[in-house]
This record gives sequence, C-alpha cells and structure tokens, in this order.
Amino acid sequence: MITYNIYKLLKEELKNGSSDLVTRWSGRVIRERIERDITEEDNGEVIALDFSKIGVIDYSCADEIVAKLISRLLSNEYGDKYILLTGLNDNQKENIEVALERKDLAVAAEMRDGMRILLGALNNYLINTLDVIQKKGKITAKELSEIKKIEANTSGTRLLNLHKKRLVKKTDEMRNGARVWVYEKV
Amino acid sequence: MTHLSDDTFETFLAVLLSQDTINLQKMTFMDPYGMVGLLEAGRYLVSNNKRRTMILPESGDVLKYLERMDFFRFADRYFNIVSETPAASDKYMRSSFTDVLLEITPIEKSDDIHFIVGRAKKRAHKILEKHLHYDERAINGFIVALSEVCQNIIEHSGNTGYVGIQKYHFQKINRNVVKIAVMDLGIGFKGSLSERVSIKNDIDAIEKALLQGMSRYEDIGRGHGLAAVRRFVNQWNGKLSIRSGTAKLSIIPEWAWGKEIESNLTYFPGAQINIMLPEV
Repeated sequence: MITYNIYKLLKEELKNGSSDLVTRWSGRVIRERIERDITEEDNGEVIALDFSKIGVIDYSCADEIVAKLISRLLSNEYGDKYILLTGLNDNQKENIEVALERKDLAVAAEMRDGMRILLGALNNYLINTLDVIQKKGKITAKELSEIKKIEANTSGTRLLNLHKKRLVKKTDEMRNGARVWVYEKV
Repeated sequence: MTHLSDDTFETFLAVLLSQDTINLQKMTFMDPYGMVGLLEAGRYLVSNNKRRTMILPESGDVLKYLERMDFFRFADRYFNIVSETPAASDKYMRSSFTDVLLEITPIEKSDDIHFIVGRAKKRAHKILEKHLHYDERAINGFIVALSEVCQNIIEHSGNTGYVGIQKYHFQKINRNVVKIAVMDLGIGFKGSLSERVSIKNDIDAIEKALLQGMSRYEDIGRGHGLAAVRRFVNQWNGKLSIRSGTAKLSIIPEWAWGKEIESNLTYFPGAQINIMLPEV
C-alpha cells in the first residue's frame, strides 16, 4: 500500500498555508496531482489517501477530489489500482459520503481511530459480502457460497461486482493444484 | 432611516440609487447585510460611473461597528466619505473581536475562501460555541456552509463579491444571532441557470437553485453546495434569504419574520444572500 499525504499535496500545490480542502478549484488542483501520481504506480497497487492532517473538507471539494477520482477509477482511467481513504474524522466522513452517494459511488475508508468503514452507496447484499471479506481478509467464490449458503455463481457475481467497484482486490492463487480467483480487502 | 439591515435594505437601495448623497447621520444600527449591501451598491454605481457621497453616522457606536467590520477599508473605493462630526474619521478605536466572526472580506479567487474558512475557524469556538452553543459538528457544518455559499461567487457569478459575519444579541427575540451576508455583482441566478435551462424569472431561478439543487453545470455532482447551505440553515433553525435581480426568496423559521417570496423589487445585479442563525 502506498500512502499519499493529502496535507503534503495541499501544501505543495496550493502554497497558501491552508490545511482545509475547500473550493472546487482547489479540489481540481489536488485531484489532478493525485491523478498524475497514481498513473505512475504499479498495477494492483492500493493507494491510501491520508486525510489525517486535513481540517475541513467541503462538499464541492469532496466531489471534485474523491467522487471524481472514484468515478474515473471505475472507468479504468488509472489502470488496475485501488483507492482507500484513511485518517478521516466524522465531519470529513459525512461530507465525503454525501458527494459519493450523489453519484452512486462507494469507497473503503479507515477512520482516525482505525475503524474500517464503507463510504457511499452500495447494495445491501454487496455490503454483506464485503463484511465477510473484511472479517476473513480474503475469500474465494466457493468459500463465500459455503459461508452465506448461496449458489456458486451468485457468490462469484457478488465478488466480481465488488471488484468492478474496486472495493476488493482480485488475484489468482494455486489451491489444491488448481488456479482460483481470490478476493481480498484493500 | 435609522437602521440599515436586511429588513430595510430595499428602501435604502431605492434611495441610494436615486440620490447623489447618502446620509447616514441618524443611523443607529447596521448589520452585515446593510454594510456589505452598501459597499456593493457603491461598487455597482461606480461601475456605472456614478460615485455617491456618503455622510457618516454621528453615533460613535455605529462608527466603531463599521470600523470593527473593516467597512472603511473598502468604502472609499466607492464613495466620497464626509464626516459631519469633528474628527470622526480618525476616532474609531478598534475594540475587541468578541462579536466579529469575519470582517468584511473580498471574494475574488479560491484562496480568498481558504482565508475566510481559516479566519472563521479560528473564531468559531469563541463565538459559535459560546454564544450560539454550537457543538463541534454544528461548527463544522457552519464552516462548510460558509465555504459553499462564498464559492458560489467564484463558480457562478462571473464577478467578485464580499462577505461579512457578526454576532448580535437580538433583543426582539432575546437571543444571540449570527448574521452572514454574502453578495456579488455577477450574472445572478437567472443569468447563470439560463445558460442551461429555460428560466421564467428571477424567483423561478432562485427556486430552481435553492430548492431543486439545479446548477448551470450538468455534472450530477453540481448544485449541491446551495442545497447543503439550505439543509444546514434548516437544521439549526435559521433564516435564509436569497435576493437576485428583482426577486427575493426567504426560508423563514417560526421566530423570524418577513415574506417568503418578494418580486418586482428594485433591480440589483448579482446575488445577495443573508443567513441568520440563532443560539440553540
């Protein structure tokens, strides 16, 4: 996992002494910097956007940075990468969540106290599946079928949908001599 | 006229636009909406090559208020200032900041919003926590709403503006109130939304922006700022008024007064936003 210190990016890009992510214009500048950096990372990399030293984030900036990044991530504009938000406080979480929900997007996040949460909009059955993956760390479609007592193709579809939303990583592993898809938390 | 506030601004504006001299001698009270409105009216007139003369208030208290709000930092750009009181122009001693949350501040670029947010954050605990009894979450909501309402000028007006915020003890309701005034001389709500959809008139434009979250940009993430401001003001039982062109739309809580919809007002360009938040 590679961590981007958003406060550091803010200092470098805006140079106005502010620790707040406010205004759409500022959001655009920060997002473009993140986009430039993300494209340099290896495929399969998880990029943690660390908000721990940030003060306020308003809705416009949350939309411009987080919602647009996630939207473009899902369109494969940055390659096979994953994004995790870290170091959030309750106020930041609330404002980012509104921006994501408005665009029907979701992202994994870690609060300042270390608690893992999901921000944004996601179907209940996918939330349920994600919970299982968070607890187990990683899982195959067969294992999910056994745990949730659902058909193998249903569990496969759910895991695939979570991967399409970049909420879980997908890798292949050799198990009992066969290659299987394994889905793990970002 | 002895009061210049959101309640009396319409009458004042009509007088200001029609007379060469604006006499504030008998003024005993001016709120941020009055002060910012006066500056914007002066700026509007200067942009039309009309510079008015302003006779300052006699009241030392009013002069101190104006000084504390940095009114004089901008006033002589737009008015010929005359004082009928001896030595009035240099006697305003700056008092403590106990009631000023944000002096009159220009909004011209994104960095100005960072400054406004930074300044308001520094004083928010002293004023919003102490006098309005806001908790951390409410203070954050206030800061975000302030940021959104101010950046509308940069994003949509095509012009510049001013913001000012002050705390008052409102005798009429015996409660502390924070008043926010944000104004610009831009294209207004109708001018902005007309770029995208058909707009009947100014009130239609304000309603579409405030109540339906419509923006001149098609992006689904747009138009949320003003809606968020409305939600915040509703949540904290505040009053929100938006004036643009010849119309004004207000959301009025039970403790406040005024008309919800006003039209056929004196034309004034841009947008004039007034927010009043009572203590909880």
